[in-house]
Formats: sequence, C-alpha cells, structure tokens
Amino acid sequence: MIDYNDYQDDKNHSPSRQLWLLFNESHPARIGLWLCISLLLLSILAPLISPYSPYEFDGSALLMPPAWADEGNVDYMLGTDDLGRDILSRLMNGASLTFGLSIVSILIALFFGLILGSLAGLSKGVKSSMFNHVLDLALTMPSLLTAIIIVAVLGPGISNMIWAIMLSSLPQFVHAIRNAVHDELQKEYVIAYRLDGANMTQVLTHAILPNIFEQIIVVATMAISNAILDIAALGFLRLGAQAPSPEWGAMVAESLDQLYSAPWTIALPGVLIFLSVLSINLVGDGLANALKRRLER
Amino acid sequence: MTLTQRYKTALSSTALVLCCAAVTSCGAPSTSSLYDNSVVYCSEGSPVTFNPQLGSSNTTADAIANTLYNTLVSSNYETGEFLPELATDWTVSADGLSYIFNLRRNVKFHTTDYFTPTRHFNADDVLFSFNRTLDTRNRYHYVGGGNYRKLLNDSVVNIKALSPYQVQFELNHPDSTFMSNLATDFSVILSKQYADQLYEEGAKNRLDKFPVGTGPFKFREYKRDELIRYYRHEDYWGQARPVSQLVFDITKNGSSRIAKLLTHECDISAIPLPQELPLLEKRKDISVVKKTALNVGFWAFNTDKPPFDQILVRKALAHAINLDAIMEAVYYNKATKADSILPPISWGYHRNEQPIQYNPHKAKQLLEQAGYPQGFDMTIWAPQIQRDYNPNAVKTAELMQADLARIGVSAKIVTFEWATFRKRLGNGEHDSVVIGWSADTADPDNFFRSTLSCAAKSSGRNRAFWCNDEFDDLLSSARINTDTHSRKSIYRKAQGIINAEVPLFPIAHTHKFQAHLNNVQGIIISPYGSISLAEVSKSKAVEEGANDD
Amino acid sequence: MINYILRRTVLLLFVMFSLTVLAFSLAYLFPGDPLVNLSGYQEITVNQLAFLELKYKIDDGIIRQYLAFLERIFDGDLGISFNSQSAIFEQLSRIFPATMELAIYSLLISTFFGIPLGILAAYYHRKLPDVLIISSTMVGYCLPVFWWALITIMVFSLQLGWFPSSGRIGLVYEVPYETGFLLWDILQADIPYRYEAFINALKHMALPTFVLATYPTTVLIRYTRGSMLNVLETNFIKTAKAKGLSTWQVLFHHGLRNALLPVIRLLGLQFSTLITLAMLTEVIFSWPGIGRWLIDSIYQRDYPAITGGLLAVSTFVILVTITSDVIYKWFNPISRTHVDD
Repeated sequence: MIDYNDYQDDKNHSPSRQLWLLFNESHPARIGLWLCISLLLLSILAPLISPYSPYEFDGSALLMPPAWADEGNVDYMLGTDDLGRDILSRLMNGASLTFGLSIVSILIALFFGLILGSLAGLSKGVKSSMFNHVLDLALTMPSLLTAIIIVAVLGPGISNMIWAIMLSSLPQFVHAIRNAVHDELQKEYVIAYRLDGANMTQVLTHAILPNIFEQIIVVATMAISNAILDIAALGFLRLGAQAPSPEWGAMVAESLDQLYSAPWTIALPGVLIFLSVLSINLVGDGLANALKRRLER
Repeated sequence: MTLTQRYKTALSSTALVLCCAAVTSCGAPSTSSLYDNSVVYCSEGSPVTFNPQLGSSNTTADAIANTLYNTLVSSNYETGEFLPELATDWTVSADGLSYIFNLRRNVKFHTTDYFTPTRHFNADDVLFSFNRTLDTRNRYHYVGGGNYRKLLNDSVVNIKALSPYQVQFELNHPDSTFMSNLATDFSVILSKQYADQLYEEGAKNRLDKFPVGTGPFKFREYKRDELIRYYRHEDYWGQARPVSQLVFDITKNGSSRIAKLLTHECDISAIPLPQELPLLEKRKDISVVKKTALNVGFWAFNTDKPPFDQILVRKALAHAINLDAIMEAVYYNKATKADSILPPISWGYHRNEQPIQYNPHKAKQLLEQAGYPQGFDMTIWAPQIQRDYNPNAVKTAELMQADLARIGVSAKIVTFEWATFRKRLGNGEHDSVVIGWSADTADPDNFFRSTLSCAAKSSGRNRAFWCNDEFDDLLSSARINTDTHSRKSIYRKAQGIINAEVPLFPIAHTHKFQAHLNNVQGIIISPYGSISLAEVSKSKAVEEGANDD
Repeated sequence: MINYILRRTVLLLFVMFSLTVLAFSLAYLFPGDPLVNLSGYQEITVNQLAFLELKYKIDDGIIRQYLAFLERIFDGDLGISFNSQSAIFEQLSRIFPATMELAIYSLLISTFFGIPLGILAAYYHRKLPDVLIISSTMVGYCLPVFWWALITIMVFSLQLGWFPSSGRIGLVYEVPYETGFLLWDILQADIPYRYEAFINALKHMALPTFVLATYPTTVLIRYTRGSMLNVLETNFIKTAKAKGLSTWQVLFHHGLRNALLPVIRLLGLQFSTLITLAMLTEVIFSWPGIGRWLIDSIYQRDYPAITGGLLAVSTFVILVTITSDVIYKWFNPISRTHVDD
C-alpha cells in the first residue's frame, strides 16, 4: 500500500515510481485506469465469458428490453436486438473490435512512428525542414477525414479501416517523436554520452528513447481515444466494420431502424464508446498532469 | 454581401436559435398558411425518370404517374371495372381485335416555364404516346434508352386516329389483359406538341426530365435525392381540387421517414417500418392505413449457375430456411406467409397443398443426394432499399445465412446501392437474391410473365434466369383465353411446374401500409403497390396537443 | 513576414501539387476504365469516345494526362457524376455553402460560450466552477458525435417536439438560390412567407448547430483556460497584481488580450476538425452539405464524385489552416522569430 504521509520517502523514489504516485493521487485518473483495464480484459476475454454468441439468433426473443424493464428477462440482461441476438454478448464482443483494435492499430502506428520520427529527429538541413512542413500539413488533416479518404480508395471493410486508422494517426507520432528527439539531442547528458563515443543508434536506444518514453505514452493515449471515435464513426457510416459485426458504431447503425421501438439498442453501444474514450482520456490527462507536476518538483 | 452584414445575419440567427431553445412554444408544429396549402410526401427514393413509360419501379410511379399524367382509362381497384379518364367511352369489336376510344374534349396540358401549349389534347397525343413505345421508327423511341415495359407489344399491331377525338387500336389476337394494361401507370398520355417543340430545339432528352402532361399537378423542380416540387394544374379537366403545392421529400432512411412524420415535417410517409406501426397507431394525430396488395417477396436462385441448376439443390436450400423466423423478425408478423408466387387475393391463386416445410434434416439429405454432402459456398444478394414486399432484405439474408450454415452451406451477403444492384442482377452476377415483385395489374399473367418467363430471362428481369418451355406455353395459352375459369386451371398447372422446379422460394405477401397525418385526405393506394396523390387535400392543421402523445 | 508568407506559399503549392497528383491517380486506383472514372461518362458512344480521348489526352503519357487534369480543374471541370450525370463542380459549389453555414454558425456559438467559460474556469482555478466546467468539457470531448446527434434527435425532436429532425428548411418553402447561405438568401429573397421561412430555417438549424458546436466548445474552453492560466503565471501579470489591480482588472486588461491570440489560431485549426465532424452531423440530420454528398458518393461508388469531393474538402481544410497560421503570425510578431513548428 502506498503511504501518503511518508512524504519524505516520496522524493527518493525512482522517476517512474514518482510518476505513478502522482498519477495515483488523482481520482479521475485512477477511475480511468480501472475502466481501461476492465475494458482491456473484456476485449481479450469476451468470447470466453459472454453468455451467448454475438451472432446467435433467438427467434423467440426479438427486441426484448433490458432486464430492469417490465417486459425484460434476466436471460438477456441488456435485452436483445431485432434478430434476437443478446445485446450484452454483442457489446462484450464489440469491445475487442472498437476498443481492442484501436489500441492494436495505434501500437503498430506507434512502432512505425518511432522509426520515422527518430530518423527525422536525427536528420538536419533542408531535407528535414521540408519534411517538417509536409508533416505539419499532414497533421492539419483531421484523422477521420484521412481515414474516410483511405477507405474511399480501398473500399469499406474492417481490414481497410485498420489501415486507415494506422495511416491517419502516423503523422502525429512522427511529429511528436521528432520534436522530442530533437529537444533531447540538445541536452547535456546526451552530448556527454555522444562525447563518450556512443554512435547514433546507441544514443537513440540507450539515452533518448527511455527519456521520451513517457511523453510518447501521453500522445499515444490521445491517439487511442481518437482512434476509438474514428473506428466507431466509420462503423456507423458502414465504411468500417460491416454487419453483422458487433463493432459498437456498426451496432448503432444497425439499430437505427429501431430508434423508437428499441432505443436501448442505440443507447447502449453509444454509452460504451463514450466510456472507453473517457477512460483513455482520463488516463492520458492524469499521466500528462503527473508528468507536469513531477517536473515542477 | 459584406462581411459585417454576414456576421450580423449570423449573430441574429444565433440569438434567435437561443430564443427558440428557451421558449418551447416556438417549436410547436407549424400551423402556417403555406403548410395548410401544401402536402409533403416522404418518399423512399428518387424516381428514375419523369416518364412512367420508362420506369418499372413503384417509387417512380408514385411520384409521377397519377400526379402529372392521365391514362385513357383507369380501373376501379375494388370492382376491377374500367373507368373513363382521357377516353370518355369505348367500344370493342365482336372478335376482340379492335378497340375504338372516344376522347375527352377541352383537356389542357400543363403550362410551365418551359412549355406553353397552344392546343388541347387530341388523338395526335394518343398516337404519339403509344407509338413511342411500340414503333421502333418513332423518333423518340430510343430516347431514354428505349427500355419500355412491353405490355402491349405482343398484341397491338396498329393504332390510328379515326378523327381528332377518336382512336382505334388494332390487335392481332384477342388479349384478355389489354384493357388492364391500358389502365396501368405505363400507358400515360404525353404531349405531342411539346415533343415536337423539343425535337426542333434539339433537346429530345428533356421530354423525360421536364415533364408535361394533363394530370392534376404540374412539374416545378426536382433535386435528385432531395425533393420534387409540383404545383397544382389550375386548368385540370377533372373534379379533383388538390392542394396548391405537392412536395416529395426524398427520404431513403426508414427511421428518418418515421421521425419526419412524428415531427409533422411530412404529411404522408411511404412504407413505414413494420416494427414502428404499433407506435404510429397509438398516436392521435396519425392514421395508419392498411391495404391488401398484390405482391410477393421471394428468394430466387440463379438457375444458370451450378449448383443451382439442380432441382435437388434448390429444394434443399428451400427446406433449410426457417420461414417462420423470417416472418417474425423481418415482417413482424404483419405479412402473409407465401406458399406460391401468386398472393391468395389474386383470382388465379390456388392453394399449394404441399408447401416446402422447414426441415434442415431433409435439406441435408437432399444435398447429399445432389452430391454436395459437404455443402458449398454461395452468395445471397440483398438490396438495401426498402420495398413493400420486403421491408429489410439484408436482415432476411442474414437470417438465411444462419439457417444455411446449419446445413453446411456458407453464404456471403452481397449488397449494392439500388441502381447498381439492379444492373448487376440483370447481368446475372448473383447466385441467389432476396427480392420480389409488385404487380402492375390484377391479372395473374403479370406475376408469372414478369418474373419467370423466358422473355423476362432475356431482358434480365427474370431473377432466377429460369426458362421452361412448357411453362411459357401455358402462359401464352392463358393469355389468349378470355374465359376466367379455364384460365384459372391453366395457371394452376403453371404453378405446379414452379412448385416442382423451385426456381424461386416464395417468402411472403405483404399488406401495403402507409401512414399520414389525420388532416390529410384523398390518398389513394392501389393494390399494385403504388400510391396516388392526384386528389390529395388538407384540412386545417392538426390540433395542438395531439402531439403530446 | 514576407519571407514567412513566401515560404508558406511554396508549401501550399507543394501540398496542392501532391493533392492533385493523388486525386488524378485515383482515376487509375479505382476499379474500371480510367477514362470513365475521370470523365464520369459511363456509356460512351463511339463519337463521344474520340472527343473524350482527345480531351483527356488518354493516349498520351501520364504527365500529359495530369497536366490536362490540372487544366480542367482550373476551368472548373471535374467531370460529371455517375449517379446524377450532372457536372460535379457545379454540384459542389451549390452544396458547399450549406456545410460552411453549419460550420461557421457552430464555430460562432462555440466561441460565444467557449471563451467566457474558459476564462471563468481559469479565474476559479481548482475551485468548484472550474471543476464543474472542466468535467463537463471532458464529457463533451468524449461523446461520439453521431451518437450525440441521435440522442438530441430522440430528446428534442421526437420526445419534446421542439425542433425538426432533419433538413435545412421545410421543403414547402421555395427559396431562390443566391449565395447558398440559406438565412441570407431568405432575407434577400422576394417571396411570400419570408418571415415564416426564416423562423423555419432557424429551427432546422438549431439541433445540427448545437451538436456540431459541442466538440469545439469543449476544446475552446480547455484551451482558453490553459492559455489564461499560462498568462496569469507570467511576470507582467504578477507585476500588475502587485501594483494593486483587482483580479478581474488584471484578467481583462492584461490577461485576455495575451491569452486570446493563441485561441484565435486554434479557431483556424479547429475548422478542419469541424468540417469532418460536420460530415457526420450532415449524414444524421440529412443536411444537404458536402459531407452527406461525399459519403453518399462513396456508398454509390461514384468515383468522379468521390475524387471531386475529396479534392474540394482537403483543399479547403488546408487553405483554412495555412491562412489562419499566416493571420496568427501577422498579429503576433513574437512568434515569427521562433522556429516555426
């Protein structure tokens, strides 16, 4: 357990430990983290723990309201949709698509962002300046617009959507990492390391990356929250995940015809999208605040 | 506009929006005088053309046929008797080969921005309108693609004017369907004078885009996928005194149409979603009308493609489908389960004693017999657009997909936007398709010939690409026969062939539903699926408070 | 400054070049015949073919074709749409004002609410109003816009019946097209029922504007608050406080002016996000703007329309960004001396 009173010890902790303590002080951040972890667990375990298959029809239970409503049934906690599929199971399985896929695609984009960003940060001169300008403009294109463009060219579908999400989030990583690397290069410890005879790869992997890692995580959380919204929006527009996929945005789109007779089929997936974006943003904000305050100390 | 002005406008609007949000009364349904004189119809799609001769979908017919144009005769939907329209009376020769029509006098065509008629309707217009579709040498025949519904082509050999107000149709054989074909939406009368004027201007294409007719409404503007606007034809010959403005609000999305009806943005809504009918029926300000309709939704197999060329395979697939589940989930039990392509209300209907039952076990056996014990991969095509005979084809296909998976057949659902969908279907790119047919006339011939004849196969409208000579011969013999009783027994035989061969699997016959605000009158729904707004009118706005429900 | 503008212009040209190359190559990337994808004529007759081949220089090299493509763009010729068979450029210029109208009003509303709330939050830093404002911005920031739009329709349109659920104006009103900015057109038009039509248009505008304004408002609040807090930490503010000025005086006379400059820049940057969100909003509210048009074109695989729409939207977004950047630098000379990134 963390002992808040033992303030003296606090200063002696390692930087990452300090960060964790500062992060933990904020209630919203902690809630966000718990939410995030549960969603992550859900994305992995959903097929094992969901009561039904997300695709299984039950002709005898169409458009059942959630269990707490008068006509509800405990067999279907959150009710069923117009094909008699269990909404709870669909929502659980949707987590791995909307939430899980956004994290996976951002991690992949982050990997390529690291490579490109480091290269850009280390290079100098006209080439670098031109690259920076183009990057700036690529950044001004909203990620959803870029994603829609990419899907328009490649055609709708879940794999094309992942490509679109990755490509559209790449510029911000390259930008952030390039700037961070650039700043770090000017710092004395790096210069000292270089004077010791370390080559560029060593400087990058041993000195710079460990130090900018935390900043990058903050950027990545923002990117994930954007990616969730984009995946859901593409699903809703039927440009991403296609029916009968339980992707949350696609679920909203599929339920549009039941706007009046079964509003819960629209409300519930939306609430989950909102919660997942919220959780990621709370974690990201908490992390950014903690970083700032550690610096102030 | 200067920048400051623009900002002022913007600011004042912002302020007004805020006011609106604060004062609820400002959002009550409009009770303005312009609304009192206008009817807004929320339709489910854009018309393909403004000439009914060229279009074969109800969406097109709803918008244009009865509002802009008249036909020579019309039919009373209940009694089936023919009523005079642009023809005041007619005589038939004893051999049934000659029909003479006397035409109505003093009928005025529309005066619009683009055309001012100088003479009244006469026999020239009738000749022009029919010859355009029948005579390949007519200078307008190929305008707009030349793809007409060829309802009269088999029988009519010549049309001539006996006097300016008398025309004669000559037939090569007696045709029991002739009069009902004349009463369809396809047999409208265009203005020859307008066509000649356009021909001289070298703008022949405009004939089908900027229409001129004799109907109760005249064309004002059209924005694709957005709206059609008609004004009242002030010099209309008939009794109808409809509203001064008729607007079609093109709303493809079913739930949006309901929303617009609930908020009184539309006065009438086409094809309300079946699951929302109970909600609409509860409202005090809205009436839901239910009419029997002549249509059938079915699942057609492309019999040109193996393995669907085998009767055993088609039977097996049909046995695999749980029709009751479809009736429940797609039609919300508001339709009749089909056991034949003809609906029970058609006079040619004969009950199928042994309809195909849901039996996955038997389906598997049949597949084994056919040589596919492991099943196979196939596609189910389903249109996105809502149709009378199937409110949600994609959902139907999804249910079928699950059923087929149980007998080892893995199905993929294919869907396109409607125009593309129809084009590709016509090319026969599908393995199977969930589609249907809404009849144009009450005659059973219309069902059989349009969906399963060899002629329909060559035009691509036969979605099963099924051609059976025996079946075709039966249809031809029924057509020249004028005795209802013997025709009935011929159609019974034809149905027997379909039951044995299963080129398609009938799903359901639906009712035609339509919802409108209580203060709208004069909407006529035909059993053929189309709706006529020719006589639509409106009383004072719906009472306030009705909206509270 | 001239140097700066020059560099931005070069950049703009470079980006425009890349965009047009991309748009041009789409004709080859999309399935089907490039000539069909470029021109939009799906059933080409023999006579037309010769004419089109000449016009699109399809038998020449790729470079020639691209140059011809550029030339046509300058002539305002983007081909015709598969779907409607009418000129894409004209369609675009007719529907673009609808999107602009929606976006501009939303931006105005979000400025109207966002900046004061942001200042308020900064003033009450870490006190209750701040916490309330910041947590509600967090909520607004995380809402998926399409879902938010549906919820507002359900509540304000269907339940309460205050506002219509879709469209720009009741279709019974026939407003002649002048500028495409509907409210302005109504005020200018000489039609009966003008006042009625104006009110009707406002009611139609209420929900989409509100939904679209949600996101930029939250961003503006957060940004204004942050910017304000930063300024309040600077030495000249501390000096002003030390001189005995009240907090409000300091806030308005010294803080605001300095805090708002970066906010103005943000407004420009937000515009591009706004256009994207407007696309989603338009789809749900059936707002006849460029977003709905583009998404429909994608559904219908209308390749010439997709190409034209993408080109128009992305050009617009980039122009706005660069312009707002230049304006910012113009008013804020200090930033010019910094490395520009």
